[in-house]
Amino acid sequence: MTIAHHPDEEALAAFAAGTLDEPRSVVVAAHVALCPHCRAIVAACEQVGGALVEQAAPATPRAGALDEALARLDEAAPPSMVVREAAPDCPAVLAPYEVGRWRWIGPGVHWRKVEVPESEGTRVFMLKAAPGSSLPHHGHSGVEWTCVLQGAFSHDLGRYGPGDFDAADNTVDHTPFVEEGNTCICLVAMQGDLELRGWLGKLMQPFVRL
Amino acid sequence: MRHEAESITPQKAANFVRAIAARRDREAFKQLFNFYAPRIKTMLMRGGAAGEIAEDLAQETLITVWRKADGYDPQRAAVSAWIFTIARNLRIDRFRKDQRAQLHHVYELMLPAAEDPPDVPFEAAERESRVRAALEGLPEDQVRVVELSFFEGNAHGDIAKKLGIPLGTVKSRLRLAMARLRDFLGENS
Ligand SMILES: [Zn+2]
Repeated sequence: MTIAHHPDEEALAAFAAGTLDEPRSVVVAAHVALCPHCRAIVAACEQVGGALVEQAAPATPRAGALDEALARLDEAAPPSMVVREAAPDCPAVLAPYEVGRWRWIGPGVHWRKVEVPESEGTRVFMLKAAPGSSLPHHGHSGVEWTCVLQGAFSHDLGRYGPGDFDAADNTVDHTPFVEEGNTCICLVAMQGDLELRGWLGKLMQPFVRL
Repeated sequence: MRHEAESITPQKAANFVRAIAARRDREAFKQLFNFYAPRIKTMLMRGGAAGEIAEDLAQETLITVWRKADGYDPQRAAVSAWIFTIARNLRIDRFRKDQRAQLHHVYELMLPAAEDPPDVPFEAAERESRVRAALEGLPEDQVRVVELSFFEGNAHGDIAKKLGIPLGTVKSRLRLAMARLRDFLGENS
């Protein structure tokens, strides 16, 4: 798999620091899982965290802190929350979340909800588009982060195949076109509402309300 | 916040974790606890946690080290980085407004089960010392942003507010810091 498009470094840094909201973190994680290059950047950032911990001035522990911890070592570990297998055709990082069923939202295009808790109007969903279809011409009221899981689409800024990451903001107004050959499946974190354009979009908007 | 006294070398730390994994070595646990727990407590308090909560989470971090010592992979991360990720995940768990947050699982699920040889030219311990060297030479304004982000756990927008600078400046300082990091890690070829 040749990955050409990556999240920007600030996004990877925020992800590694644990400060990126959950919906966007999930999409970044889907990319990182497929991308050794970004995995190395995240690891370097985590090492920065480690170095800062090492250099920190130690706080005064409460009295008996070590004994308290030692007394807990023989405790049975709490049954860790069982993480299910991810649903079929979902990446492993989605295992903790409920995933809805595919719904038709337009010719050749299906959509399914991923139950990642919404954060400041950002939601997660998957899109599945038939080979040769074009996704509705749309704009955004906020950021839209996409990780391609399968197949490929293109728009003015390039071709996006498996593993590629696409970050669009409200300055982008585009019509992604799905390549022939493979059904394209994407994981998307989108803030605000999709603003569909054109007659098809107008027709679909009431059904979609993505 | 630099504090070099009673430091623990990466090799020593890795040996302690190995001793816990191999024979539930309580002495090794004590060493790791004494070094890391008070520093994790500092990190969490600097991020705004009250002392008692920070203390509890620091304890939980080291208990997790004890329980997961088997799964520690010295190829993938230095002990300090591994412990940082444990504390980061506990912090996310504890402080996300939404209690349904599953993000800590996501961080684990994204790692390949058996890491393909890491995509970096060095062992984790070597990486640790290079990262430390990179941080040493950073200009103060970049260090501050790096600390506010990784150590104190502030979102970039909150860092901008705290420092009274535009978000774009936060991001560009971070980018500069990361470019230096990549230089030191030899990833700019
Ligand atoms: Zn990448």
